[in-house]
Amino acid sequence: MQKFLDRWGRLAAAVFLIAVAGFSGAARAQGTDAAALDRPGFVAGLCGGAGPMAQAIAGGLESLAAASPEDVTWMAGIVAALGARQLRCVEPGGLILTAGAATDAVTGATVSPPGSPRTPVLNLRSRGAVENLEAALTLLSSRDAPSRQRALALLSRRPDAVPPTVFARATDLAATTAERDAIAELSVIAALSSPDMPARLAAIAGLAAEPNRRTLLRLETLREDPAYGTDTAFRDTVDAAIADSSFWVKLSSVLSVAYNGISYASILFIAALGLAVIFGLMGVINLAQGEFIMLGAYTAFMVQEGVRSVAPGLIDFYLIIAVPFVFLVTALLGILVEATIVRHLYRRPLMTLLATWAVSLFLINLVRVTFGTQNLQFVTPSYVTGGFTLVGDFIVTYNRLFAIVFAAAVLALAWFVLQRTGLGLNIRTVTQNRDMAGCIGIPTRRVDRLAFGLGSGLAGLAGLALAPIYNVNPLMGTNFIIESFMVVVLGGVGTIGGTLIASLGIGQINVMIEPLYGAVAAKVIVLLLIIAFIQWRPEGLFPAPGRRK
Amino acid sequence: MSAATTPAGALPASPGLVRRFGGDGGFRTVTALVAAGLAAILVFGGALAGGPLGLSPYLVNLVGQLAAFALLALALDLIWGFAGILSLGHGLYFAIGGYIAAMHLLKHGFAVSGVVPDFMQFMGWSEFPAFWWGLESFPYALLLVVLVSGTVAFLFGYVSFRSKVGGVYFAIITQALVYVAMLLMFRNDTGFGGNNGMTGFSVIFGFPVGSAGLTVGLTAASLAVLLTALLGLRWLMTGRYGRLVLACRDDEVRLRTLGYRTLWLKLSVWCLSAVLAAVAGMLYVPQVGIINPRLLSPELSIEIAVWVAIGGRGYLTGAVLGAIFVNALKFWLATRAPELWPFILSGLVVLVVLLLPNGFSDAGREISRLGDRRGRGRTLESLRRTLLRERGA
Repeated sequence: MQKFLDRWGRLAAAVFLIAVAGFSGAARAQGTDAAALDRPGFVAGLCGGAGPMAQAIAGGLESLAAASPEDVTWMAGIVAALGARQLRCVEPGGLILTAGAATDAVTGATVSPPGSPRTPVLNLRSRGAVENLEAALTLLSSRDAPSRQRALALLSRRPDAVPPTVFARATDLAATTAERDAIAELSVIAALSSPDMPARLAAIAGLAAEPNRRTLLRLETLREDPAYGTDTAFRDTVDAAIADSSFWVKLSSVLSVAYNGISYASILFIAALGLAVIFGLMGVINLAQGEFIMLGAYTAFMVQEGVRSVAPGLIDFYLIIAVPFVFLVTALLGILVEATIVRHLYRRPLMTLLATWAVSLFLINLVRVTFGTQNLQFVTPSYVTGGFTLVGDFIVTYNRLFAIVFAAAVLALAWFVLQRTGLGLNIRTVTQNRDMAGCIGIPTRRVDRLAFGLGSGLAGLAGLALAPIYNVNPLMGTNFIIESFMVVVLGGVGTIGGTLIASLGIGQINVMIEPLYGAVAAKVIVLLLIIAFIQWRPEGLFPAPGRRK
Repeated sequence: MSAATTPAGALPASPGLVRRFGGDGGFRTVTALVAAGLAAILVFGGALAGGPLGLSPYLVNLVGQLAAFALLALALDLIWGFAGILSLGHGLYFAIGGYIAAMHLLKHGFAVSGVVPDFMQFMGWSEFPAFWWGLESFPYALLLVVLVSGTVAFLFGYVSFRSKVGGVYFAIITQALVYVAMLLMFRNDTGFGGNNGMTGFSVIFGFPVGSAGLTVGLTAASLAVLLTALLGLRWLMTGRYGRLVLACRDDEVRLRTLGYRTLWLKLSVWCLSAVLAAVAGMLYVPQVGIINPRLLSPELSIEIAVWVAIGGRGYLTGAVLGAIFVNALKFWLATRAPELWPFILSGLVVLVVLLLPNGFSDAGREISRLGDRRGRGRTLESLRRTLLRERGA
C-alpha cells in the first residue's frame, strides 16, 4: 500500500530519484576518493596525441566528483581553451594564448610565447568527450542560467559517458528544482547503461517510480539489452518495471480523458443550465441564450476594465468580482426580454423560437456595432494558467480545473435556488403543473419572469467562465447554442440532474471520440448519436412525469 | 372560386381587406404577378437583359434568385403552415439541390471545356471522386436531386414521426441536422469543395455562364417552376389530401382515431417539401454561381422560417410574398446600409410575431378582429380563430 501511495506525489518520486542517484554516486565516490587533480598530468595527456588525450579527458571526468572548486575552475579554463583552439603544446606543459599574451596552462604564470607551438588536434571521438566534459564543468562551475541549460542539453545526448558521481555533485549544485529534476533524470538514464548491475537495477526502479510515456519507452528499449537475455534478475526487474509503469501510464491516460471530458462537460453544463430552466418552465427554447452567454463575457470584460482603472492591484481577481455584476446584468436583460416579447407568446412556442432568434440577431449586431468584431483581450489570472502533473502524463491544467470548479459552484447555486428558496419552489410547481399552480394562487406570470431572469443570469455566468479560456467575440454564443439545445433535449424537460448527466455524457463521448477521428468528426458523431437517441426516447433521459402531449 | 375552396389553411374569408391580402384574391394576384413576370421575361427577355429597356441583367438575375427563394419558402410553408411541423433545417435540402446542381455544372463544364474544377486542383486530385459518376447528364442530376433529398427526408422523417417527435423538439433536431451537415461540408476531404465550396461554372446546357440569354433563361425557368409549384400546391392543398393535412395539423389524435394513418400523411408532406426545397436549391446555385457550406448554416435555415412567418403561414401566397419582401429588402439594403439590415430584420420579426401572428397575409383579418372587439363583440367565428391560432403554433 505504501508503495502505491508514494507514487501519487510527483515530489516523492523526485526525492526518491535523487536518493537513488545520490546513493549510487556515494558508492562510486568511495572507490575514486582523494585523487587530487594532477594538473600537469592532465595537460600532458591533452598534448600527448589521440590515445593519451582520450584518457586524460575520461580521467578528468572521473575526477570531477572529488575535485576542489579551484581545480574545477582551472579545468574549465583549459577545456574551454582546448575547444577554442587556444591551447598550445610546448615542453614541459601547455600554453594558453590569448590576444598575443601567453599563460602557462598549469601554473597560470605569464610566459613569453615560444617559437613553434603545436595545437592539439581534436578528433571526432574526443570532440564528443570534450563536449561532455565541458558541459559537466559548466554545470559544476557556472552560475549562468542559459549556459547551464545548454550544458544540460549537451549532456542529455550522451549521459552514459558521464560518471554518476558527477551527476550527484551537479544535483547538489543545481540552481532550480526543474534543473535538479533534469539532472536527476539524466543520472538515471546514465545509470541504466552503467556497467555496475546494482546501480542499473536501482535506476530501473527509479524510472518505474516516475511512470510516463517517455520512461516507459526507455524501459522498453532495455529489452533489447544483452543483459536481458542472460541475467534473470535484470530481466525480472525490467519486466516488473514495465508492467508497473505501463499500468500507471494507462491509468493516467484514462484519467486525462476523463478530466478533459469533465471540463468540456462543465462548460456545456453551465451553458445549458439556464436554457434548461427556461425550457422546463415554459416549453420554450430561448434562441438568444447564446447571446446572453456572449453578453456575460462582455460584462466580465467591462468589469475587468473597470477594475484595471479603479484598483489595478485587484486585477487578478476580476473574475470573482465580476460574478454578481454579470449575473445581475444578464438577468435584468432576460427579464426585459421576457416582459416585452416572450410573455405574449407562451401559447405559441414555435413563434418564441423566431422571436428569440430576432433578439439574438439584434444583440449580436448591437455588440458588433458597439465593440467591433475583434476578440476581446482578457487578463489571464494566475489561477487559470499552468498546471501540475498528478500521475504519469496526466497534467491537471488550472484553466480546466477553473471551469470544473466554477460549474460545480453554479450547480450548487442553481440547486440551492431551485430547492431551498420560495422562488425555486414556485418554479418547480409551475413547471410541474402550470394551471394547478395558478389555481392555488402562485403568480405564474411573475414566476415565469423571474425564472427567465434566472436562466439568463446563469447563461451570463457561463460567459464569465468562458471569458479567460475561449475566444470572446460577438458570434461566440452561436457556437454553443446547438450543443446546449442538445444537452437540454437529451436531459429531458428541465431537470438539473438530467442536464448534468446529459452534459457529462456528451462531454465524455466527445473527448473519447476526438483522438480517433478529430474534433469536427467527434462533434458530428455526438450530434448524430443524440439525434438517434431522441428518436428512441423523444422526451430525453428524464422525461417529466405525466401524459405526453 | 367559391367560399368552400378557400386557400388551404385559411378560414372562411371575411370581406374587405382580407381579400386583398390573404384571401382568395391574394392567390390570384400573386399567381397573376408571377405569370406576368414569367411572360415578360420570356417575351422581352433578350431585350430586357440587354439593357435598353431599363431592366439590367443584374435585376433579371435578382428576379430569378427571388423566385428560387420563394420556392424554398413555399416548401417550408407546406410543412410548417399546412402540416404544423416546423423545420429549422430546410437549408439542408436546399443545399442538397444546390450541391448536386454545382456538381452537374462542374462535370458538364469539364466535359465541354476540359477544365478541372478549382477545388480539385486545390486538393491535388486528378480525377473526380467516384460518387460524381454520371453527373454530366442533366436528367440524371435532376433524378439524383429528387432521390437524395427525398431519401434523406424520408429516413429522418420516418424515424422522427414514428416516435412522435414534434414541436420544439423536432425544430431543434432539424437544426442540429443542418449544423452537422455544415460541419461535414466544411471539411476539405469530403469531395464537395470544403469550406471554399464550388464555383467557376463555365457552361450551362452549352451556353456560356454570364451571358444575357442565360440569365434570362434561368430566371424564366425559376419563375416557371415557381408558378407550377404554386398552382400544383394550390390544387393539392384544396383537395382531399390537403384537407387531411390540415386536419392532421389541427388535431392529429382525432384524425388517427378516425382511422387515418397520420404517419404516412405527415411523411408524404415532409418528403414533398424536402424535394421542393432541393429543386429551389438547384435553381438557385447556377444563378449565384457559387455554393459553399454557408448555405447549411443554421442561421439561413431559421431565416427561411422568418420569411414564411412574415409573409403568412398557411397561405401559399404568404410564403411567396414573405420571401420576396424580405429578400428584396435585403438586396436593396445590402449596398445602401448593410449594417442596418440585422436591426431591421429583427425588428420586423418581433413586430410581426407580436402583432400579426399569422404574418402579413393575416393583416386584414387582424385589423377586422380589432374591429370585432370594439364593435360587434366576439363572434363564434373569431373565437374559433383565436383557439386555432393558439393551438396551431
